[in-house]
Amino acid sequence: MEIRSAAAEGLASCHLCGKVSPVDLGHCPRCQSPLHLRKPHSLERTWCFLISSIALYFPANLLPIMSVSGIGGASHDTIMSGVLNFWKKGDFLVAIIIFSASILIPVLKMIALCWLCFAAAGKTHTSPKNLTRLYHITELVGRWSMVDVFVVAILVALVQVGALSSVLPGPAILSFAAVVILTMFAAMSFDPRLLWDQHVGRDLSDTP
Amino acid sequence: MKRHLPGLSWPRIEEGPIRVACHFCDALQEAPRLREGDAAHCCRCGEMLYQNRPRSLARATAFSSAALIFMVLVHLFPSVTVDAGSVRHELTILQAADAMWNQGNPLISLGTIFFTMIAPLVLLGGLLYVSAPLRFGIALPGAKVVTRWFQLCEPWSMLEVFLFGILVALLKLGAVGDIHLGTGMWAMVGLVICTAFAVAGIDRLELWDRLEIALQKEPDPDLQLPTD
Repeated sequence: MEIRSAAAEGLASCHLCGKVSPVDLGHCPRCQSPLHLRKPHSLERTWCFLISSIALYFPANLLPIMSVSGIGGASHDTIMSGVLNFWKKGDFLVAIIIFSASILIPVLKMIALCWLCFAAAGKTHTSPKNLTRLYHITELVGRWSMVDVFVVAILVALVQVGALSSVLPGPAILSFAAVVILTMFAAMSFDPRLLWDQHVGRDLSDTP
Repeated sequence: MKRHLPGLSWPRIEEGPIRVACHFCDALQEAPRLREGDAAHCCRCGEMLYQNRPRSLARATAFSSAALIFMVLVHLFPSVTVDAGSVRHELTILQAADAMWNQGNPLISLGTIFFTMIAPLVLLGGLLYVSAPLRFGIALPGAKVVTRWFQLCEPWSMLEVFLFGILVALLKLGAVGDIHLGTGMWAMVGLVICTAFAVAGIDRLELWDRLEIALQKEPDPDLQLPTD
């Protein structure tokens, strides 16, 4: 059986409710959300979010994410120095968790999205099935990077001024939260159907 | 009264075969009715198209109402208490947000409130508002808008990430003082589990199919109770 894409028949599946209707209707007859064959300007938007997140990734890692002040003075920790401190102290579990959530996942996610964008523009030729799986994983794990932002918020609330030491949030926390949110937006605006369009030799990235 | 019949597929507004397009690869294919517990996968990319979840409306209703009860407990009771000498610090989500606000990070504070309070509330409240009346074939006013909003909120509901954050923060804290886990912590565990079950309880396609029928059939002669 030959597999046809819905777009080839002028049908669009509603992104919200999943109903397949002719794209000429403009709005989904069931839930009234706008119908598109492909997400509009998918690649441009994804690149835009992706490049902003890569740019913000540098301050997120170079500036201190939190500072701990105690009797012996204050210490400013970046994400990486925090990981190294825990590693040196022998807390390998904490070090690995923070390393994977704050460094590994964001970097892998950015690389994956770059790769997906190149593939959707027809620059590489990887099996679209594997790329679809990659996209699915990217979408699922992205939110877990937010854990570092929450950890700082929790520590600031628990270790406040008045106790033996106090924890203050650093300037990197805002950039880091922005990196996570921007990569989530990038993953949301990417349309995996473009990968399959490339596979069958059609380019629908500019269609409404 | 039309009630849920176990083992059968959910009702659809169109009689006869309908088609779906895979959200990942856009392959157009027949959408057969499924028995409870079965799932349909895309014939080209293998991703799941839709699934007939067992007792979907009952589960979505039950788990979302349970989750909302847990949510009240989460905000009322502290999840972690730290006793350091004479000073005692208690942690709730609002206090974490408040501490960030006081330390000059209003954006992070608002983000925390949105990701761990507003988005889960819209998600669970919306799901309950739509799925509970749907059990009786009724759609309350604004059901479409509510469904739209809670579906949009779903990826931003990050309570499980916050819970994981508490665990990491406790590991990081080490020996600051006496650390007690409180009611809020267990309520949050319950909330995360119930949220996951509530969201997994009903397929998006099923929800919209049922909603479409409920909206079109209003007022449904089958639903009117005999008056005399």
